[in-house]
Amino acid sequence: MGAAGSKLEKALGDQFPEGERYFGLENFGNTCYCNSVLQALYFCVPFREQLLEYYSSSKNIGDAEENLLTCLADLFTQISSQKKKTGVIAPKRFVQRLKKQNELFRSYMHQDAHEFLNFLLNELVDILEKEAQAAKSDQETSSPPEKMANGPKIAQANGSHKDPLVTWVHRNFQGILTNETRCLRCETVTARDETFLDLSLDIEQNSSITSCLKNFSSTETLNAEDKFFCDKCCSLQEAQKRMKIKKPPHVLVIHLKRFKYIEQLGRYKKLSYRVVFPLELKLSNTVEDAESEYSLFAVVVHVGSGPNHGHYVSLVKSHNHWLFFDDENVEMIDESAVQTFFGSAQEYSSNTDHGYILFYESLTTNNKS
Amino acid sequence: MINTANGMMSTASSSSNAQSPGLKTYFKTPEGRYKLHYEKTHPSGLLHYPHGKTVTQVTLAHLKDKPAPSTPTASSSSSFSTSSGVRSAAARLLGASNGSRLSFVGGNGASKSVSASSRVGSLVASSSSNSTSTSNFDGKGSYLIFNVGDAIFISDLNTQDKDPIKSIHFSNSNPVCHAFDQDAKDGHDLIIGLNSGDVYSVSLRQQLQDVGKKLVGAQHYNKDGSVSNSRCTSIAWVPGGDGTFVVAHVDGNLYVYEKSKEGAGDSSFPVIKDQAHFSVAHARYSKSNPIARWHICQGSINSIAFSTDGAYLATVGRDGYLRVFDYSKEQLICGGKSYYGAQLCCAWSMDGKYILAGGEDDLVQVWSMEDRKVVAWGEGHNSWVSGVAFDSYWSSPNSEGIGETIMYRFGSVGQDTQLLLWDLEMDEIVVPLRRCPPGGSPTYSTGSQSSHWDSALPVGTLQPAPSIRDVPKISPLVAHRVHTEPLSGVMFTQESVLTVCREGNIKIWMRPGVSESQSSNGETMLSPSLKEKPLLSSKVGSASHKQ
Repeated sequence: MGAAGSKLEKALGDQFPEGERYFGLENFGNTCYCNSVLQALYFCVPFREQLLEYYSSSKNIGDAEENLLTCLADLFTQISSQKKKTGVIAPKRFVQRLKKQNELFRSYMHQDAHEFLNFLLNELVDILEKEAQAAKSDQETSSPPEKMANGPKIAQANGSHKDPLVTWVHRNFQGILTNETRCLRCETVTARDETFLDLSLDIEQNSSITSCLKNFSSTETLNAEDKFFCDKCCSLQEAQKRMKIKKPPHVLVIHLKRFKYIEQLGRYKKLSYRVVFPLELKLSNTVEDAESEYSLFAVVVHVGSGPNHGHYVSLVKSHNHWLFFDDENVEMIDESAVQTFFGSAQEYSSNTDHGYILFYESLTTNNKS
Repeated sequence: MINTANGMMSTASSSSNAQSPGLKTYFKTPEGRYKLHYEKTHPSGLLHYPHGKTVTQVTLAHLKDKPAPSTPTASSSSSFSTSSGVRSAAARLLGASNGSRLSFVGGNGASKSVSASSRVGSLVASSSSNSTSTSNFDGKGSYLIFNVGDAIFISDLNTQDKDPIKSIHFSNSNPVCHAFDQDAKDGHDLIIGLNSGDVYSVSLRQQLQDVGKKLVGAQHYNKDGSVSNSRCTSIAWVPGGDGTFVVAHVDGNLYVYEKSKEGAGDSSFPVIKDQAHFSVAHARYSKSNPIARWHICQGSINSIAFSTDGAYLATVGRDGYLRVFDYSKEQLICGGKSYYGAQLCCAWSMDGKYILAGGEDDLVQVWSMEDRKVVAWGEGHNSWVSGVAFDSYWSSPNSEGIGETIMYRFGSVGQDTQLLLWDLEMDEIVVPLRRCPPGGSPTYSTGSQSSHWDSALPVGTLQPAPSIRDVPKISPLVAHRVHTEPLSGVMFTQESVLTVCREGNIKIWMRPGVSESQSSNGETMLSPSLKEKPLLSSKVGSASHKQ
């Protein structure tokens, strides 16, 4: 493994980015779902920086109760503070904590990387919110009310009175979708906002992410069995519904729904469809014409033909080089190699390496949130 | 007198080509039905990919009657030009000089190939088994040249045979792009660029006359990547360039070569100081070949195309920019960025007024040379656009004498396996009203096209990506799923539309009203109206990259 590390160092030569570390992660028996996502998150630079910053500033408080957030921060600190530039690290504490926390991940079975990412981000948010709440209640004992006029927070249309806290996890990953429903009788448009940390897209054979996003936001008619209760008409009515992105996230995570439940089979099946993803992307399904451009920086790849077994690897762009992370192994790859992970144009193909979760970062820096 | 061991090839290929369910053999347009006429493919059983997979490109070549004095390079042996009595005008008019696009895929692995030819068994062809019409390659004919894996295949355009009449295997690398010069003065009319960066020029006729599976009588340029070991992506003859041709590479460079010139002496070029900017370096010695290097952009040049008169060269690349150069002045004239992502293909209109470009934003971009900006976006593909072409044979049904507006017909193909046909009539395109963004937010200023709207731009200005609301959108006339695999190119001929997929299957769709019997005979295509048309530069683009 040391040899592999030096090989990467040799490949990068004097182009090895200052201060950057490329470490493989040991696999503890089917933990590749975890490793592949951790690498993608580690190379999500704003997330990494804010995590490390959070960690260094909160460590002093000394409350040191272990949770997933502290374990993740530990791991990232461990990687970034390595003396060597390359090598292998065992994310042991993190994986143990994860298994403790959620029985879903306790078995040695093949797990879904997207489920893990989702669980992890929500868990981080929960921890941060609890901490903030604890801090707030400390303060509020001294000065009780005052909380409502707290600046331009995102107005929740459905009027939840709990003012949602915007953590740094939110600032990185959270976007807002608006679900517009137009009653076909009274023409009233009802808009309901919901937040998201990633977008799950239905996929089609030989399509592009652009096209999948378009379908995601295409207009759907609610009729027959599936009518809409219009508040104005006070009855079930036919309606048109569409989802648009109201606030694009700074880091756009796109999950391709490659695992589909097939009713006739009574089980999940992996869709190996060829779905091309560009290295740069703009969102067209936004409420305002958001012209901000995203750049692809990580891809979690599912390897294998079925949903219940297989392997996960990740592709990561760091300092304009593309790297391939396969548990312990880290290799440099050419940018054009990313295209080998699009999927198969024909159903039965020997190629089983398919892009599963895509990570795009906005190139515009003024990240308002 | 070639003819391959035919039986074997056809059995091998039949499997790969089974018509998949759901694919129709015709599509309708306002002017009538286009019908699937011929399919051309390759012997899939024999395919192997010692150097990784590549994306197929197609070149259309019309061989004229061989002139009486045999050319020096073409092997002079067999010249019973049976058809020599026929004047060659027809073939000329059909003409194709061509460019093509390229792409590739895999890496260049170690070499070990050679095996294919032995597996095929001898092709010592008794010319009998094949269709007799093509048994003499001294006559004229129309051929499709396409690359798959480590081979170049040549098919007769006007026969029903699915299988190629000739295959040429490359032992060291994969051929990835090629072009044919209709008006070549000496024998060498076909140029081929390889994955390794190597380039060959040969006589097509000589290849057809040879029975072997190797390139014969070839001139070899950039041998073993001595000048550039970067993969070739696109290759083109300079129209009217007297045997000069240009080769684009993945490293953002384009090299200019002179045909048949031995590359003697040092042909190295100075280090590129500024990767981000256009620069031209000339060879230091008059004997060198290549004679010049153009550094175009950072990242791959994915496709190039000359305007019909050869005055302008268009390039598209990984950085998303379309660039237009004055070729003889070696000067960047104008250009602009895609909406987002790399551009993969480009093509000129016959009159040189418009350039089509397509790429990873799923859009077909119409660039106006007069306005020096994008004047329309074609929305209709569900994936990347990998091939574009104007239909130079098409004339608007009611165009005679009505109004000033010129209508253009063009086609595009994509990785969504679809062929789209479009009509472009500039007067009908409505520039969208610049509506005020909701909330009056100041989105106006940022890089929007508006600042360039009317002012004349200084030469060499590259435009940023236009804002989505500044560009008029057009919709396709027809969208038809033509193959099961992602497509790599489209091209128009007098009687048909050709589509090709990445894996090397070609379909020839007859235009409405062209009877099948007519189509197999080149001469019937001569119609008076044709003579008005300039030579078609037929070009099949294809996607770049990928595996």
